[in-house]
Amino acid sequence: MIARTLFIPVVLLLVLTFLIGPFLIIVAASFSAGETLAFPPQGFSLQWIFKVFTVDSFRASFATSMLLAVGGTAAALLLGIPASYALSRYTLPGAEIVRTVVSAPIIVPGIIVGLALLRYIVVPMQASMTLILFLAHTALVLPYAVRVVSASLENLRSDIEEAAVLLGSSRLGAFFRVVLPNIRGGILSAFILGFVTSFNQVPLSLFLSAPGVRTLPVDMMAYMEIVFDPSVAALSSLLAFLSIGIVFAAERFLGFSRYV
Amino acid sequence: MFQNRAEAFALALPAALFVTLVFLVPVVALLSEGFHLNGSWTISAYVDFFSSSLNQAVFWRTLKLGAIVTVVSAVIGYAAAFAIVGLSPTAKGRVTGLVMMPLMISPVARTYAWIVILGRTGIVNEALHAIGLTDAPLRILFSETAIFIGLLQLFLPLMIISLISALENMPRDAVPAARVLGANWFQVFWKVILPLTREGLVVGGTLVFTGSLTAYITPAILGGSKVLMLETLMYQQVSVSNNFVAASVIACILIVMSFAANILLKRVATARNKIRREGAAA
Amino acid sequence: MSKTSYLTLDKMTLAYGDAVAVPELELAVEKGELIALLGPSGCGKTTTMRAIAGLLPVKSGRVVLDGVDITRVAANKRAVGLMFQSYALFPHLTVYENVAFGLRLKGMRGSELDAKVRAGLTSVGLAQFADRKPAELSGGQQQRVALARSMVMEPKVLLLDEPLSNLDARLRLDMRTELQRVQKDTGVTMIFVTHDQAEALSLADRIVVMKSGRIEQIGTPEDIYNRPVSAFVADFVGFENIFPLEAGKLKTSAGLVPLSQPLSDQTPSAAGLAWRPRMVTLGSGPFRGTVRGTSFAGHTREYLLDSVLGEIKAEVDASEPVHAIGTEVAFDLEADRAAPLSRFN
Repeated sequence: MIARTLFIPVVLLLVLTFLIGPFLIIVAASFSAGETLAFPPQGFSLQWIFKVFTVDSFRASFATSMLLAVGGTAAALLLGIPASYALSRYTLPGAEIVRTVVSAPIIVPGIIVGLALLRYIVVPMQASMTLILFLAHTALVLPYAVRVVSASLENLRSDIEEAAVLLGSSRLGAFFRVVLPNIRGGILSAFILGFVTSFNQVPLSLFLSAPGVRTLPVDMMAYMEIVFDPSVAALSSLLAFLSIGIVFAAERFLGFSRYV
Repeated sequence: MFQNRAEAFALALPAALFVTLVFLVPVVALLSEGFHLNGSWTISAYVDFFSSSLNQAVFWRTLKLGAIVTVVSAVIGYAAAFAIVGLSPTAKGRVTGLVMMPLMISPVARTYAWIVILGRTGIVNEALHAIGLTDAPLRILFSETAIFIGLLQLFLPLMIISLISALENMPRDAVPAARVLGANWFQVFWKVILPLTREGLVVGGTLVFTGSLTAYITPAILGGSKVLMLETLMYQQVSVSNNFVAASVIACILIVMSFAANILLKRVATARNKIRREGAAA
Repeated sequence: MSKTSYLTLDKMTLAYGDAVAVPELELAVEKGELIALLGPSGCGKTTTMRAIAGLLPVKSGRVVLDGVDITRVAANKRAVGLMFQSYALFPHLTVYENVAFGLRLKGMRGSELDAKVRAGLTSVGLAQFADRKPAELSGGQQQRVALARSMVMEPKVLLLDEPLSNLDARLRLDMRTELQRVQKDTGVTMIFVTHDQAEALSLADRIVVMKSGRIEQIGTPEDIYNRPVSAFVADFVGFENIFPLEAGKLKTSAGLVPLSQPLSDQTPSAAGLAWRPRMVTLGSGPFRGTVRGTSFAGHTREYLLDSVLGEIKAEVDASEPVHAIGTEVAFDLEADRAAPLSRFN
């Protein structure tokens, strides 16, 4: 009996320590006053937090990553919402093929996609690296967008669209007046999931860098190989709090986890 | 359900076309590179690849780490999922949130933390030295052990989440019924819980296994340039050796392994279910 | 077919892909009529209703409403209302905005709109719920919102999909009264779809019984209830003892069995005869049956008999002497009490 009452807290403590402990150490290390990354931190200072904002390459790659995460996710939704609508509301011949094609980018490892784009689009077409990164991140997020939007469409009765049509609305009008307002939560959830996925993505962007064009996580990995100071820890903490904050707010206001 | 096919195609086509052009065509082109040498179709690139002992070692290491991480995460995952399912609803929600939290954090940040912990002057070595167990720092970083720890931390949440929902979907009275019929806890696990949660285990296992096979960040940071896995090897082949044929071969191996894992595990799940259904019918 | 009918379905054929669901349907509905489309699921009644609404394209044939061919008119331009089985209220809009939805699309604004919406809500007794969301209403209230939403559009035809099936017994009576009042007040032509014969009998002016995409019988509730033309309709409205006729005899699994009395002159061409349990004479007659089951139903008692004719269901006044299970009872199926069936299918 004692074994069973102890089981739950001990297991939870060990598992949560393993999962979250390293993150707490990173947070602690980012307040270090020392010159090298260490734990326990040597003294307390905010210098590394401030330093993050002064590193030029971080500022540039942060802007790139933001642009890709916001733009790529928005583009994925623009493509994904109509596709989800077709898949959930129409009898579409070859629906399974469309579904498989659209969700394919989730199955194939990102590094392969990145290399393929480098070899067959960037090099032969002399395409702009930012454009290719944008396309790649759009493709990466599309499966998530389709999955989440489809789930919220499945939860919405389709007869309200017919009701709107019989009250005089066009089919397109019915979509904007009746469907869209009711799947807004799902779309926002898809946006957040897509944003986090795109922002944290490394392998896809690995080969897709050009002078001055690099995503933030790739930039961080490159920085870590050269400099061993706590600034990457500080940046990691900042980013982690940013994502946790966004997801927490989303859960609070939208019930995010219903859709994911 | 609307019947208008033209409308349906018009809605679905942009997404399908986009993925085809930006994703499928380049990837297929890349994969074909490994089969097409000097103007003819051949598998010699694959023979070459596997004749290198370094490549073989990387291949087996990738499989081995994937398998170990999957098995260990399943064991820990069951323990954790049991503990979480036994909590009150509020506590369950909070703990589940904490388990999922790492999924929101950048994998680079999560992996980076292990440098602080496992490095030469990291917590583990300092602690071992302080209690007098070691004289010189252990070399944990840049080893298979470090990669294993990193991957386990990265993918364990996926296994726990899958098993929680599997345990929650289990018929409420299955375990008490088995206990009443005289089964001990070990028998309850093997004969009742495992068969009833097999699908969740397969879902979690597939995510963890394919995730580990195709991991890049963890072996890149914790394995260094010596202890390679397939993706880090692929990166080296491109950026150091400029060997695109080898990269294509690795890409193909990665894709085949991921698909095979998906199909195989799905088979396992459905085969077991069929036996269960037929057993129930009989 | 009457040229002056308000709504005419002229050889209307409906299909899902290549599978024809309703072949060449002919139906004429008069203005202000309340028509029930009655039949089991899959009989084509819902398909027919959706085609009238314009939600399903007509493969061939015509739909004519108020003298205008609307076969190819889009659903949003037909002036046909539909009250969905699930009510299909817009969950993100208030009750008021639900009712105002179609009027706004017509371009109605300001005090005219407000007056119309308020009047619509008042007529269904929901004026005080204008600012609620549909989810905050009971099922019965939601249905009345749906009714008001359709009726403020002043449709030429109002279609109703299983209007009473989601309601409990008390609300069912309320809604039936409500629908009859709306129809009397506005004179709107109503067509409703149901699988429940009691619903059709109690509400409709005329009933259209459908089977496998074809009309089996059209008639008043009295016609359908007392004079079914086919075994299918007879079975559907509660004739439990149905036999085909051959050479003036009942055809059973045990061969041809002669009737106790000759067929009357009115039914020389009958293809079969059908008796409700109430129409079976129990206690006397040429047939013998063994009581297999019996149940008390208040005023009456029901019996299940095994006989040479097969299984027979009988219902007699509860005041009559009880026959125990296993005993043998004499009974009769009198030809002049039976409903003659012109088709046996």
